[in-house]
Amino acid sequence: MLAPENQPNDDYEPVTGLDQETIACVRACESEAAAKTASDYEHIVWAYGVIWSLFAIYGVLLWRRATRHNVEVADLQRRLSA
Amino acid sequence: MKNFLPIAFLGAAALIFPTTVATIFLETPIEAQMGTVQKIFYFHVPLAWIMMLLAVVCGVAAGIQLRRDSKRAEAVSIAAAELVLVTGLGVLITGPIWGHATWGKAWTWDARQVSTGLLWLIFAAYVLVRHYGAAGSERLAAGLAIFGAIDVPIIYYAVKIWKTTHPSNDVAGSLPESMWAALWPALIALLLTSLALLLIRVRQELTDVALDEAWIALDDAALPAPGDV
Amino acid sequence: MVALRQAWLLAVNDLRQEARDLELVLTSTFFSLVVLIMLGMSFSAIGVSAQPLAIPGMLWLSVAFVGALTLGRIFTREREFDTLRAVLVAPVERVSIYLAKAFVTMVILLGCCLITVPGLTLLFPGAAPFADRPLETFALVVMGCTAYAGVGTLFAAGLASSSGKNVLLSVILYPLTMPSLLFALVATRSLLEGHESFTTYLGQLTATNILAFVVGAWLFEPVLVGVPQQRRGAARAGRRRR
Repeated sequence: MLAPENQPNDDYEPVTGLDQETIACVRACESEAAAKTASDYEHIVWAYGVIWSLFAIYGVLLWRRATRHNVEVADLQRRLSA
Repeated sequence: MKNFLPIAFLGAAALIFPTTVATIFLETPIEAQMGTVQKIFYFHVPLAWIMMLLAVVCGVAAGIQLRRDSKRAEAVSIAAAELVLVTGLGVLITGPIWGHATWGKAWTWDARQVSTGLLWLIFAAYVLVRHYGAAGSERLAAGLAIFGAIDVPIIYYAVKIWKTTHPSNDVAGSLPESMWAALWPALIALLLTSLALLLIRVRQELTDVALDEAWIALDDAALPAPGDV
Repeated sequence: MVALRQAWLLAVNDLRQEARDLELVLTSTFFSLVVLIMLGMSFSAIGVSAQPLAIPGMLWLSVAFVGALTLGRIFTREREFDTLRAVLVAPVERVSIYLAKAFVTMVILLGCCLITVPGLTLLFPGAAPFADRPLETFALVVMGCTAYAGVGTLFAAGLASSSGKNVLLSVILYPLTMPSLLFALVATRSLLEGHESFTTYLGQLTATNILAFVVGAWLFEPVLVGVPQQRRGAARAGRRRR
C-alpha cells in the first residue's frame, strides 16, 4: 500500500530534540541527577543507620546492666538464705 | 502491668516504624529544593524535639528530686539525661549528614548547631558528675540538670535571635499536608522507643537503689550490736 | 534588703582576707598575663581585618580559664578550713552567701580583665575599639564576668561542700557558662566591628545575667544543704555496695 500523498498538515508534528547537542545536554543532566540521588540515598542510609544504632547500643548497655542486677540479686538471696 | 509497658511501647514502635519508612519513601513527595536527602528531616527533627523534651523532663525531675528528696524523681532524671545523650548524639550526627548533602558543609557553627551541642555537653557533664561525683554531688548534678532544662528555650529562640544558616523554626509549620503525614508517625515511633528505654532505665536505677539499701542492711545486721564483746 | 546587706558584709570580709596576702589576686592576674602572652604569640600572624573575628574569643577564653581557676581556688580555702560549713550554719540568709561569693569572683575576674583588655588592645590593632569606646567595653566586660560568676559560684560551692573532686568543676563549668560566653562573644564582636546592634546584644547578655543569678540564688540552698529530709538521711549518704 502506497503512502497517501498530499496529506493535510494539521496532524504533522516535527520531531525535535534528537540533535546531538540536546541529547548530550539531557544525558549530562540525567547523570548529574542520578549521581545526586545516589549520594542522597547514601546520606539517608548513614543517617537512619546512625539513629537506630545509637538506640540499639543503648539497649545493649541496659541489657548488660540488667544481667549484672540479676547476678547481684541472686547473690543477695544466697546470702540471706545462708 | 508496669513490666508490660516498655515491651508494649517497643512493640508498637516496631509496628509503626516500617509503615513510617514506607510513607516517607513511597508516598511523600520529594522536596523541591533539597531533593531526596531532605527525607532525613523526618527523623532528624522528631529526634531533636524528643531530645529537648527529655532535657526538660530531666530538669523537672531534678527539681522534684531537690524539693522532695524523691528517689523516683532522681531515677527519672538520670534516665532522661542518658537518653538526652543518645538522642542528642543522633541529632548532632544526622544534622551534619544532612548539611553535608545539602549545603556541602557538615558543621557550619551556626547558632542552632552550637546550642544543641552545648545542651548535649551540659547533660554529658550531668552524667559524668552522677558517675564520678562523691557523696552529696547528687544535688549538685540536679542543679546542673535544672540549668540544662532552662537552656532548652534559649536553644529554641537562638534561631530567632541570630541569623543562621539553619532552616528556620518555621519549616515544620509550613510543611505541606503530605509531609506532616510522614512526620507524625516518625515522631511517634521514636518517642515510643525513647519512652520504653526511659522506663527500663528508671526501673534499673530504682533496682540499684534497692540493692544498695539491701546490702547496707545486710552489712549493718552482720555488725555486732554496741556493747557486745 | 537584709540579704543584700549580709552579702555585702560577707563579700567585704572575703576581700579583706584576700587583701592580707593577695594570693588569689596575684596568681589570677599573673595567669591572665601568661594567657595573654600565649595568645599574642599564637595569633600574632593574623591580619588586621581578621582580628575582630579572633579577639572576642581570646578575651572570653581568658575569662573562662581564669574563672575556672579562680572559682576552684576561692572554695579550696573554704574547704581546707571548713569555713563554708561554718557560714552555712551561721544565722545568715543562704542567698547572701551565694551573692557574696559571686561578687568576689566577679571582682577577681574584673581584675584579670584589667590586664587582658588593655593587653589585647596593645597587641592587636584590631582591638582598638576597646580603647575608643571604653564605657561600652567596661559594660560588656562587667556583664560577661558577672554572668560567669553567677553560674560558676553555685557549682563551685556545691563541689566544695561535698568531698567533691576538683576535676568535675571544669567538667561542669565550661559547658554551663558557654551560653553566657556565646552572648558575650557576639556582643564583643559587634563592638569591635561597630555594629549598631551592640546594645541589643548587651541587653541579651544582661538578661542572661539576671536569669543566671535568679536560678543560682534559688538553687543555692537546695544544692548545698538540701531540704530537711535530706539532712536527716545524711548518715546513709555515700554508702554504696561497690
